[in-house]
Amino acid sequence: MAEREELVRAEGFCLRRGAFELKDVSFSLGEDEVLCFLGKTGAGKTLLLESIAGFYRPDAGHISYRGAEVSHIPLHRRNIGYLYQDYSLFPNMTVRANIGYGLRMLRRSREEIRAAVAEMAEWFEIERILDQHPGTLSGGEQQRVALARALITRPSLLLLDEPFSALDPKTGQKISEKLRELRRELRCAVIFVTHNFREASELSQRIGILAEGKLQGIVPKDELYSSPWPPEAAALLGIEEKT
Amino acid sequence: MSSPNKQPKRRPGPFLICCLLLALLTLLFVGGNLFIIIFRGLKSLPASLGQAETLFAVGLSVRSACISTLLCFLLALPTAWLLTRPELPMRGAVEVILELTMSLPYIVLGLSLLILFSSPFGKALKAAGFPVVFSRNGIILAQLMVNLPFAIKLCVTALRGVDGKLERVAGLLGASPGRRFFTVLLPCCRNSLISAVILVWARALGEFGATLMLVGVTRMKTETLPGSIYLNVSTNDLNAALASAFILLLLTAVSLVVDAVFRRLGRGRSRYG
Repeated sequence: MAEREELVRAEGFCLRRGAFELKDVSFSLGEDEVLCFLGKTGAGKTLLLESIAGFYRPDAGHISYRGAEVSHIPLHRRNIGYLYQDYSLFPNMTVRANIGYGLRMLRRSREEIRAAVAEMAEWFEIERILDQHPGTLSGGEQQRVALARALITRPSLLLLDEPFSALDPKTGQKISEKLRELRRELRCAVIFVTHNFREASELSQRIGILAEGKLQGIVPKDELYSSPWPPEAAALLGIEEKT
Repeated sequence: MSSPNKQPKRRPGPFLICCLLLALLTLLFVGGNLFIIIFRGLKSLPASLGQAETLFAVGLSVRSACISTLLCFLLALPTAWLLTRPELPMRGAVEVILELTMSLPYIVLGLSLLILFSSPFGKALKAAGFPVVFSRNGIILAQLMVNLPFAIKLCVTALRGVDGKLERVAGLLGASPGRRFFTVLLPCCRNSLISAVILVWARALGEFGATLMLVGVTRMKTETLPGSIYLNVSTNDLNAALASAFILLLLTAVSLVVDAVFRRLGRGRSRYG
């Protein structure tokens, strides 16, 4: 029996958007695993993450999620949590309504939603802002709200786009610890993209390097610097070593 | 005592003078129209308001504009939503049809409606108790026809103004397309849509060309405010025509004020709209 059941599998995935192209991306992700894609700005990280969420139909190859082509599963039945870099909170709703949105869409009872929102708010220490609108929140607060909103439906897969890049290191560290604890409790798999080496090695179990739309390889995080890499990936790692 | 920062006054250049003169001329030209309608219309208003014809025209105009605007958005919103879906095939062709309809003179649209509703189809409708040609239903249909492409365009612009990521996030959180539309899309572009409704209502109120072609203008039967102006000018009653024009101007001004109030209210609440 396999150690972990496979949750996501990409095979020869190709996608062209304008002048940019994701080329021949292949990887797999087990349930309860944390995988990071590391790359410079413009490497195709967000496009890859959106492709894993199934927002685009592939030009070639496929990305399957629980054995089915992800873009063929209706959006509202995918059970995937997504955290955009700008958090994308609903501006027309309070923090409370934002967090409870997923459960409302799943037609849970009011009592259940109230209790779950309170639990999430306590976990992320955002009880005092529950009645505020997103426009009045700081970046750190917005991020906690977005994470609470994404996790309240207990998704099987959480996709994070540069989750801590807009935060100061202290806030980023604090939220990252909270996320790690909660992820362990909820047992959901995570794929996140970042350009930050520290974030990549702190949060993930395996790291893939993405350069110019091509996945250069995936290795366990401890073997990031000892693995043989193609020149583009080696250059990326070398640049980071110098800084 | 002169301040050290004081700079010599610059004389306006010839280009600036030319622009100022042309702008003044434009203002006189446009403002002059308003001036005539306001001052001469206001003078004739008390007498006109006592006439049953004027009150009939105001009632019919407001009522038909309200109904046609409601119908317009009931059709425009779903169409606009479809047009904002990237996966919709032939989207370009639909947009070309809408643009073409928008750029046609309204009298031509009225003519096509007249042909359509004079056909066996129109006669069947009449037999079923829904007459269009030379009837008040025709006024609503003419306003609808004229405003629909315009309303669709306004709705498309409003819906495209909402960040697509919000809809995707809502979908991944379990919201079906319909619930995404009602819980996220619509509230996020609420202010733009309110402006669109007001604008379309004001246009419906002033619609004349297509209405004239489809239903004609008959006193106390199909007499809208623009129709009333036309009839009064035809009978050489310029004062009554100016009074109707003043009422039209007033209603349009009120709609613009309401629009401005909604915009101001919405500005503080939302990043969108």
